[in-house]
Amino acid sequence: MNSVFDELYQKYHHDVFQFLFYMVRNKEQAEDLVQEVYIRVFKSYHRFEGKSSEKTWLFSIARNVAIDSFRKQKGWKGRLLEKFDWSSSQVKDDYPIPEEIMIHKEEIKRIYQCLEHCTVDQRSVVILRFLNDLSITETAEALGWTEGKVKTTQHRAIKVLKKHMEMFNEKEGLDSEEVRVER
Amino acid sequence: MKKSEWSDKQLEELLRQMPKIHDHRNPRDIYQNLSIKKRKRSAWIIPGIATAAALLLFFLLVPTMFDRTEYSLDRAVQEKVSKEEQKSLSQEDSSTLKEDSTKNETGISGTEQKMLMTSSDKTALYDDELGNGTVLTYWIPDSQAQILVPVSTVVQLDQNKNWLTAFIETMGLLKEEEWGLSDYYPLNATLTLDTTNNTVMVDVPINHKYGEGSASETKFIDSLKKNISSNSQVNKIMLTTNGQPGIEFGNFGEIKEIQVESEGKHAYFFYTPDGMETTYLVPTTDSYQNINAAFEAMKTEPLEMGLTASVVPSFSFKDIEIKENKLIITIDENAVMENNLENVYSLEAILLTAKGFGIDTVRLLNAPINSLGPFDLTKDIKVPLAPNYRPIQ
Repeated sequence: MNSVFDELYQKYHHDVFQFLFYMVRNKEQAEDLVQEVYIRVFKSYHRFEGKSSEKTWLFSIARNVAIDSFRKQKGWKGRLLEKFDWSSSQVKDDYPIPEEIMIHKEEIKRIYQCLEHCTVDQRSVVILRFLNDLSITETAEALGWTEGKVKTTQHRAIKVLKKHMEMFNEKEGLDSEEVRVER
Repeated sequence: MKKSEWSDKQLEELLRQMPKIHDHRNPRDIYQNLSIKKRKRSAWIIPGIATAAALLLFFLLVPTMFDRTEYSLDRAVQEKVSKEEQKSLSQEDSSTLKEDSTKNETGISGTEQKMLMTSSDKTALYDDELGNGTVLTYWIPDSQAQILVPVSTVVQLDQNKNWLTAFIETMGLLKEEEWGLSDYYPLNATLTLDTTNNTVMVDVPINHKYGEGSASETKFIDSLKKNISSNSQVNKIMLTTNGQPGIEFGNFGEIKEIQVESEGKHAYFFYTPDGMETTYLVPTTDSYQNINAAFEAMKTEPLEMGLTASVVPSFSFKDIEIKENKLIITIDENAVMENNLENVYSLEAILLTAKGFGIDTVRLLNAPINSLGPFDLTKDIKVPLAPNYRPIQ
């Protein structure tokens, strides 16, 4: 086995996989995409200058792979339809909640569902920051943004999540309302 | 409890609690899949090349297919036409029709190629080659027995021999098959000359084959007429069978005598036997009113089987003038003429045709080249003595 692959696998495989999983919300697809990430890494490894850390470089590749897969998924038909149907301008996926999430508590399931409502950028920031535990600086490096942009995007993402979490509560939380009335 | 209100901190905490998802595949498998995928990426190249090759072949083949259909259509039309013409000629043997019309076509393309390949030479017999000999012209049927090809040779005549004796003697020496024609001579007949009545007596044995089938009858009568008219001034043929007057022919019935008209006023065309490189100059059976009509006919394919046009495009006449026995042909200024065999034959066909109309010399004006094969185009050209010279040793 290739020594470069070995090293990358040891250090980052699970982080990259996790990132891709939450980006595309499907395990099989994430498995395919992680392969694609390796292929791109090998293609351009000789060009890697060490300006950024290996970690952020890998994440930036992973993010591009995920975005490309969204585009591919839509296909030319989807892109054409999108031009006429402004209401569905956000990429929606119909995948059911994965088993790995289902076994967790209610709040986790909900926030997983709410993540769907974030834009791709917002989702990237949220995943990198909180799930992959990257610092603001690292996130900025991986996304090729300024730290300020990372901060605002993160802030907006949290706002979206909060909004949708509350909507969940309203929908099924009639009893909690009642409780309030009672008080 | 304000369950519905989430603080940023709580949310972040919740996000951090989200489960770690692991790829349970063996890294070895992942690596293995990598190389497969790498190969897969280039997999579309092979079908791509195949498609390109298929398209290329398609575009190469389609035009040739079209060509071929057109060609065969052409061919079919030609065959049809020639068949109809043949029917109007009526006396020809219909069984050989199809075979011959196809051979006709191969003959056309064949002549053109062969003419450019062989060294230039003339076909007819001219004054300077005669010496003190006598010309004998034999009319020999081609291999399909469709046309009669005149072949001339030179013999030395003794004082006590007349032309017919020489004709009969030489008849056996002809190498018809070697020349690409059909073996016809010597005739299964006794020929005698009656000088007082200016008549040739032809006596055939009882078991003769000349009356079998319309083709052989026509060939026999025509060849007799032509042989006699081109070699002598005799104007009558008396036919006998084993001494009894008349020969029984299946189609014509019994014929006792044939009138011989002098040959002439025919147009000469090219004829190339199958699988041969020689070109014969052969006159048509029909005669023409004037020399212009004959030349005009020689530019196109004749009706008779196996013959091809003899006035090639490089001889484009601007003007034709006859002064006494001299024919003056003015060639178009734009005509391009190469010094090749085809043009030599064409000129000879013109000379032979002119001879039939009583012309002695031919002069070409405006000829693009000064000499064509053995001919000096700047001077008057004498018409040949006889067509298709074949010396016999």
